[in-house]
Amino acid sequence: MINFEEELKKFHPSLEIEDAEEMIYNQDLDDMADVLVRLLKDAGTGESDRHQTVRPDSRTPRN
Amino acid sequence: MKCYHCGCDLTEKDYCPNCGTDVSLYKKLMSLSNLYYNEGLEKAGVRNLTGAVESLHQSLKLNKSNIEARNLLGLVYYEMGEVVAALSEWVISKNLDAENNIADDYMNELRNNPTRLDTMNQTMKKYNVALKYCHQESLDLAVIQLKKVLSMNPNFIRAHQLLALLYLNSGNYPKAERELQKCAKIDTGNTLTQRYLMEAQHMQIPGEDEAKHISEIPSSKEVVQYRSGNETIIQPVHSMQPKGAVSMLSIGIGAVLGIAIACFLILPARIQAINSSNKDRITAISEESDSKSAQLTEYEQQIADLTREKKTLQSQIDSYQGTDSTVDSMNALMAATSTYLTGGASDIQTIAGYLEHVNPTKMGASATAEFTELYNSLIKLVGPRLASMYYRTGYSAYRDKDYDTAITDLTAAYQYDSTNGDALFYLANCYYEKGNTDQAKKIYDQVINDFPGTRKASNSEAKIAEINNAAN
Repeated sequence: MINFEEELKKFHPSLEIEDAEEMIYNQDLDDMADVLVRLLKDAGTGESDRHQTVRPDSRTPRN
Repeated sequence: MKCYHCGCDLTEKDYCPNCGTDVSLYKKLMSLSNLYYNEGLEKAGVRNLTGAVESLHQSLKLNKSNIEARNLLGLVYYEMGEVVAALSEWVISKNLDAENNIADDYMNELRNNPTRLDTMNQTMKKYNVALKYCHQESLDLAVIQLKKVLSMNPNFIRAHQLLALLYLNSGNYPKAERELQKCAKIDTGNTLTQRYLMEAQHMQIPGEDEAKHISEIPSSKEVVQYRSGNETIIQPVHSMQPKGAVSMLSIGIGAVLGIAIACFLILPARIQAINSSNKDRITAISEESDSKSAQLTEYEQQIADLTREKKTLQSQIDSYQGTDSTVDSMNALMAATSTYLTGGASDIQTIAGYLEHVNPTKMGASATAEFTELYNSLIKLVGPRLASMYYRTGYSAYRDKDYDTAITDLTAAYQYDSTNGDALFYLANCYYEKGNTDQAKKIYDQVINDFPGTRKASNSEAKIAEINNAAN
């Protein structure tokens, strides 16, 4: 059995054309590709840093 | 597909041929995005618009630059009547890829038809108003508003659903079903539509409770139960004849209904007719009254004129009467003079009779000097004799206690002979005997003043003292 009051809560006011600009500006456009690229870049930066910290040790002459 | 690091075109390899960056994961994301786009396209193709929206959203979450997915999402939104959402997607699409973007064509089509755009905007506003009415429990107004919305934008899914919900709430299940069927034709994959549709269809078929109720009816000898198609018909064997009480009740209800109809339908018309005729009568009476009032005023004016005329005539009559009395006095004086001159001097009573009609003091200004002189001359000749005659008769009447005659004669005696103090004294006595003490005192005073030192004067003083004592 449908509860009218509960069902009515599912309906929200529709956006009008005047509100379109605000909606476009407020839309979160970040996608998974952005997240992945950021992660990969972060991972690449971390690796290069580790290489840079390891390099002086590698330069030490072997006995 | 371009390398996210250097922008170089990628090959089928999992690394960038230019910078050597590992693009395997990136390529998987892109292909997954395309997969969802294809899924969305397929769903849109079979009008599963809700499913298409979900798939295209997934596609865009994986790759926001999937222009085809975004444009298709805008198109699906537009088909669902969500113009603002469609425009938003197309604007973003245009910003991400300005060249050779079909979103530009879509937007141009809307821009070139401002009436259509305005109509769409109006539908949004009206839908919001309808929703507001729903929250304010003005459901009838909401239904009217939603019907207007759907007449302008027949593909507006949410408006269809809200209208169907309102119909469901009011128990108008066939209408709800019709709306939901329209909705399902536009978007086959909308779960809310499907749920409402099931509810509407469920409520239109006889419920289990009802079926149970029917099955629980005992199949006694009083009813005949049979099936006609899908319907179970239960018919009583004997037709119910109304019993006495039921008949009386029916008659009573009929009478009440008859009275009610008479009160609400017939009586108002009758009352109106009577009122109308009364108004006409009042108008006629009012007009008649006005004419009567005018006549009355006219009559009053005539009465006033006649009264004035009567007064004028009366004054004329009075003037004539005065003339008559003057003439009478003159005639009487002439007759008295004639009687005296023709040797009737001894007939003093005849002369007295004539002179009774002569009164120069009453004549006033109408008495001429000649008349007065003649009168005085005659009185000088016959006055003493007249006085003695009136004194005799007056005194005789006084002795006989005929005071009225005595007063008349003694007054005349004193008039013709003012030296006759006895006449004056007896005249006062007459008034005294008659009880007119004021007049008596007045005449007694005159006796005391005119005839001082006489016996009459002393008697008059005694009489005045007596009157005063009696008064105290």
